[in-house]
Amino acid sequence: MLSHAALCRLAAEKAQDANFSPEVTRRILRYGAPVGSSCRHYPRLPRCMDLLRREVRDTTTPSPATGQVVRADRLTGSSGRFDRYWHAPAGGLYLALLWADTLLPDFSRLLPFAAGIACCETVREFISAARLQWVNDVRIGGKKICGILSETVAGAEGEQFHLIGIGINANIREFPVELAPVATSFYLETGAKVDLDQLCALLLARLQWNIGLLYYSEEQFLAGTAGEESMLLRRWRQLSDTLGRSVTYGYDVQTRPLYQARALEIDTGGGLVMRLADGSMITEYSGEIIYNRND
Amino acid sequence: MTSDSIHFDEILSKYRSDPYDYVDMFAVHAGEVRFLVEDGAEVQGVSGEWHHKPGSPLYEITRERNPKVITSKTNGTIASLNKEVEGKFVEAGTKLLTIRHPLKKKEIIEAILQEVLYLFPAPERARYYFSMDIQSRIDQKGARSIVIQPGDEIITMSLMKRDTPVYYDGEAGILHSLYFSPGDSVDQGVPLIGVCPEEKLAVIQKIITRVKAEWE
Repeated sequence: MLSHAALCRLAAEKAQDANFSPEVTRRILRYGAPVGSSCRHYPRLPRCMDLLRREVRDTTTPSPATGQVVRADRLTGSSGRFDRYWHAPAGGLYLALLWADTLLPDFSRLLPFAAGIACCETVREFISAARLQWVNDVRIGGKKICGILSETVAGAEGEQFHLIGIGINANIREFPVELAPVATSFYLETGAKVDLDQLCALLLARLQWNIGLLYYSEEQFLAGTAGEESMLLRRWRQLSDTLGRSVTYGYDVQTRPLYQARALEIDTGGGLVMRLADGSMITEYSGEIIYNRND
Repeated sequence: MTSDSIHFDEILSKYRSDPYDYVDMFAVHAGEVRFLVEDGAEVQGVSGEWHHKPGSPLYEITRERNPKVITSKTNGTIASLNKEVEGKFVEAGTKLLTIRHPLKKKEIIEAILQEVLYLFPAPERARYYFSMDIQSRIDQKGARSIVIQPGDEIITMSLMKRDTPVYYDGEAGILHSLYFSPGDSVDQGVPLIGVCPEEKLAVIQKIITRVKAEWE
């Protein structure tokens, strides 16, 4: 696993693609630099997020460091949203990032986008077909290759922290029958194994950049020099295949689909603007979508 | 008669003499105001299966050539219009108009209850659901069997696939009224739950029974 200094160098190297001036690039990287400041690696854990959540709530220890990462080679109690099953055997990359809540609410709500973009960019280093589905599912040909969970936790002193849990299906050769139609992995897509340490380093470097970009956007907003379009959401649009699609929306879309609509735009707050069958418009800020097959 | 029931009679007579809610509308931000309704006009609130169709346009406010039409959240009639500010620049929060909304029996019960219950508001516009423990107890025994204490994790707020636990910070009591269904989108400041201190439960049951029995 790379040292934190090497990780920051990798983030700087990857930042060259983004076409910002050297000064702005430095500022963005400085904001994101705490990502991966420490990384604990375990052979197995029930869930990485559980460990960090316990530490945040522990009243006997000082405020935990922002940017720290917990990684496990496999998870024994993994789950997705709504307690959905997440297959997490050896061969995947599983980690959780702890981040102190130091963003304004309008910007902290975009952290799940920053995590999604970082994951998608990481996967695209190997498989260019990876695309983002609103909010932050990374999919290849409709199959999920990466899952992200985000939650906010209050510390013992009331300080708020974000927990971002990420699972990437890297060297997984097969999935259980119920997941096989909807999940894929690096191995299944390319026929080759990926180095998990390298994948982890790339992901953390991309997280440094995209979280930094979020802070830089906030800085620009506070200075009154922000453009109309968020830099982070502009990048999301480039990576997503959601806009223009016929979708089914639901808070828990798998068990309680609510309606079908056409996804038109993403607004400045990350809300998905959709047109219903009767022509009326609706914007959703939470929940999830699936793409309709007849589209 | 107890002091609680005297208080209740006063509240009830207030609603009997004036069964309306008066909804004041304030400038959402600074800007130049142009009214889109007349005094006494009927207005409609939001509609549609997903509450996505906006209500009647009330006023347009323009700041830096950016006009914004503000619509009604509720149905009723325009009870007063601050015509002095028509075409003028106003500061954020300036009162612009009042909508007189006719209350239904259910709304009157709720309005009375909300004067007695501790209301716990939504911290942000988001979707909400109960924490797993609370939801399972609601499913098994019903909400009114649940006593909550300050500091309890009662609700999860979901915004952009980010789940945030919401901790109760009001007085201890029974989970009396639920103002949302799991997964509903709730605006900031709108009550999520109403909590009743155990000693007030009897008078609250009396309120509901009397309004249901007496209100035409």
